[in-house]
Amino acid sequence: MPLLLGFIFGGVGFAVGAGLLGAIRTSMGLEFWSTDMSWSIAYPVALLGWLAGVGGWKYWATEWFGGTPAVSPKGVSRYFEFNMDHKVIGIQYGVTFVALFLLSGLTAMAIRYELMHPGMQLFNEDQYNAAMSFHGIGMVAVAVAIVMGCFGNYVVPIMIGARDMAFPRINALSFWLVPPVAITLVIAVLLGGWDTGWTAYPPLSVLTKSGQTLFNLAVTTFGVVSILGGINFIVTIIYERAPGMTWGRLPIMVWGTFAGSIIAFFFTQGFAAGLLMVLFDRVIGTSFFGAAHGGSALLYEHVFWFYSHPAVYVMVLPAFGAVLEVLSHMSRKPLYAYKWVVGAMLGIVALSGVVWAHHMFTSGMADYLHAPFLVLTEMISIPTGIIFLSALGTIWAGRLWVRTPMLFALAFIFNFTIGGLTGIYLADMPTDVHLHDTYFVVAHFHYTIMGGEIFALFAALYYWFPKMTGREFNETLGKIHFFIMFIGFQLTFIPMFQVGVRGMNRRIADFPAAYEGANVWISMSGFLLGISFIFFTVNMILSWVRGRQAAANPWGASTLEWQISSPPPEHNFDEIPVIQEGPYEYGVPGATPHARLTGAVKHA
Amino acid sequence: MAVIVAVVVTAIVGILGAGALLLDRRPPAPAGEQNGMNRHLAVAAILWVIFTALSLAGAVAMDPFPTGAAPEAAFSDHAFRLMTYMGAPILGLVLAGLVYSVLTFRSVGGADAEDGPPMKGTGMVPKVWLGATTALAVTVMVSPGLTGLAEMRADRTSDMTIKMTGQRWSWTADYPGGITSDELVLPVNKRVKFEVTAPEGDVLHSFWVPAFRNKIDAVPGMTTVTYITPNRIGDGKDDVAYRVQCAELCGLMHARMAMNVRVVDAAEYDKWLAGKVKK
Repeated sequence: MPLLLGFIFGGVGFAVGAGLLGAIRTSMGLEFWSTDMSWSIAYPVALLGWLAGVGGWKYWATEWFGGTPAVSPKGVSRYFEFNMDHKVIGIQYGVTFVALFLLSGLTAMAIRYELMHPGMQLFNEDQYNAAMSFHGIGMVAVAVAIVMGCFGNYVVPIMIGARDMAFPRINALSFWLVPPVAITLVIAVLLGGWDTGWTAYPPLSVLTKSGQTLFNLAVTTFGVVSILGGINFIVTIIYERAPGMTWGRLPIMVWGTFAGSIIAFFFTQGFAAGLLMVLFDRVIGTSFFGAAHGGSALLYEHVFWFYSHPAVYVMVLPAFGAVLEVLSHMSRKPLYAYKWVVGAMLGIVALSGVVWAHHMFTSGMADYLHAPFLVLTEMISIPTGIIFLSALGTIWAGRLWVRTPMLFALAFIFNFTIGGLTGIYLADMPTDVHLHDTYFVVAHFHYTIMGGEIFALFAALYYWFPKMTGREFNETLGKIHFFIMFIGFQLTFIPMFQVGVRGMNRRIADFPAAYEGANVWISMSGFLLGISFIFFTVNMILSWVRGRQAAANPWGASTLEWQISSPPPEHNFDEIPVIQEGPYEYGVPGATPHARLTGAVKHA
Repeated sequence: MAVIVAVVVTAIVGILGAGALLLDRRPPAPAGEQNGMNRHLAVAAILWVIFTALSLAGAVAMDPFPTGAAPEAAFSDHAFRLMTYMGAPILGLVLAGLVYSVLTFRSVGGADAEDGPPMKGTGMVPKVWLGATTALAVTVMVSPGLTGLAEMRADRTSDMTIKMTGQRWSWTADYPGGITSDELVLPVNKRVKFEVTAPEGDVLHSFWVPAFRNKIDAVPGMTTVTYITPNRIGDGKDDVAYRVQCAELCGLMHARMAMNVRVVDAAEYDKWLAGKVKK
């Protein structure tokens, strides 16, 4: 019902925005409708209408006008409207982004079908560009938001002994901005799409068709989601920790979320600014990027990568946290070199902001920029190396319980090694000038983002599934999903390195016949990879609906979320718990439990 | 040479690492358990050497490169190989640690399973690791990174200049003397300076010939420069590495924005040029 209201109010908002603009335009003797400008004005009004409709008015804004906020319902319906419980929001994020992941994955299947043979099969060039661009932004959005949005929201507050996030309303607000982003992107594709990938480089993005305007509006909104989420996590982790939860006792998942949030908060503005500047160039005729009127295309590349390189650490830092969490609990050993890992994560945060121009070695930027960015980029391998030390040190001599989440966490180590090592070729100028914008790059970032973060996502998903749903997942289906995905992944992306070095560039609807053999192989393997998600989807749905009741602590893990029922009660803890020891004291003689659930002094 | 360096680095890092693991501060273990741990470390170290050797063998055997038709290409391929050799011991280490742990340290699990040894990594190991990874990173930074960068820029002389213009969705080559061509014909062993640009009002493109392993963007309103000395005769009709391929997404026909490249001997080049002038 609130969803329906959201759509109606959104539609009304759109009409009001477009109508007002039209009236002004008509009075000035212009045409009523001007696609780019009308969308740009109507979209924010539609967004407000949507937010009010889905519950922003009923639960929040009515208070500003002297009303009484409504009380949230209890059942399944609360997932379909504005709700301030971090656990509801975590699941909302999880389900929404898994759906977007599957949709963008289906697009990838279509792309692989098209690229199996030279010539055009399924699409024409224009449709290919639209599909490729949608796959790109869809997956980037998933990668940026899913681990933090789903597990950060659901698990992190419980892990630190809090009853909710610091700003529950902002939390709900940031989630409810997500569906308009997805819907707008899908509408953009249905209206013909845009053809600038997810990077939206001008001058093309200024000159191309109107789908670009919808892209810019949607992705700027998504930037707001990221910024709001980031500040909420930062404040929550600083101020909402239970007594005794010192910085040295934070579970590593919390640290990963904290580090990722700092980047999301400080850098996302860059991307949003870049996109708005493109929008201004398109709609109101500024010339930030048009050479003819003194603009510079390189300016956008700097602004864009100033955010978009740190963004990969927004994706991967919480993923590091989730993987190390799973490795420690399922090896039944303390997290190896905990303090070093924390240092490494903060080191990555620090370095992330000063490496962006390694995406621009062939852009024609000033020569003197090459050397410093080469050096700084390769420095990132040092803190990243510490993460590997911790992962290997943690499983070494442990008691490895090789269940589905553990398999995904172990595969993460392997995949991210390949991703990391191949990154060096792209950071070094002599090889990058050849490999830049080839399938080598495509393979590299799929190894880091998909092999790294998405494998970590599945480790986390299977690991916390019993806690979040109160149900056990099907282990056999989980293992089938893992093995098909792991094998399909390697078979798909290893040959992409090769075909890239051979001279196949990326983002192309068609390729010379010489690369056909490799592409047939890649597409076939890609389909195998796609099949694995059928097992995943079936497993998730069946287990959630009919799975056996999960125990409170099926993994025997030490952190706080496992010490309360599955799923947790509404306010997580009856009394604020007291933390008395580090989170990973496995095998430590005479260690007291991580947390005590009763008898706490209430904090003020 | 590079292989030897990689093997020596592996050996040094391996010895340091194993030593540090043995010295790690752990609660005193019973003598039997300590011996067991030493055995685990020894087997894992052997696995490391084996995986590294296999990776190195693969790296030596591999030939992923398209035709190289310039010294710049040989230089890039050399750097590529060097980084692959340096990566081998790292891949070997991760594989050894992963494979050995999964095979040896499995347990049947369960919520109340027995705990592993409380190794916290508060001793020497992370310091040695940090030292080793920093040394490796600095090595790659200096060579092939910075030295490579310096070498790429060392020679800024040229025998001739060709202006390459990228526009949606084709390339134009402007030769000295007002000759314009929709095919890039280059005399072998002559150093060419390419001045790359795009018209104001057009979009970004990128000038890339896979056989030369070099790429520079065509930016509207700006001229970018790169130098190539083609040293192998070839024709894009027989070998796709000889093509100018746009390598920056430029819209509708991006995939098809390519131009044939022909590297020819001096006599044939003069003939081609003369034919162009006549028209």
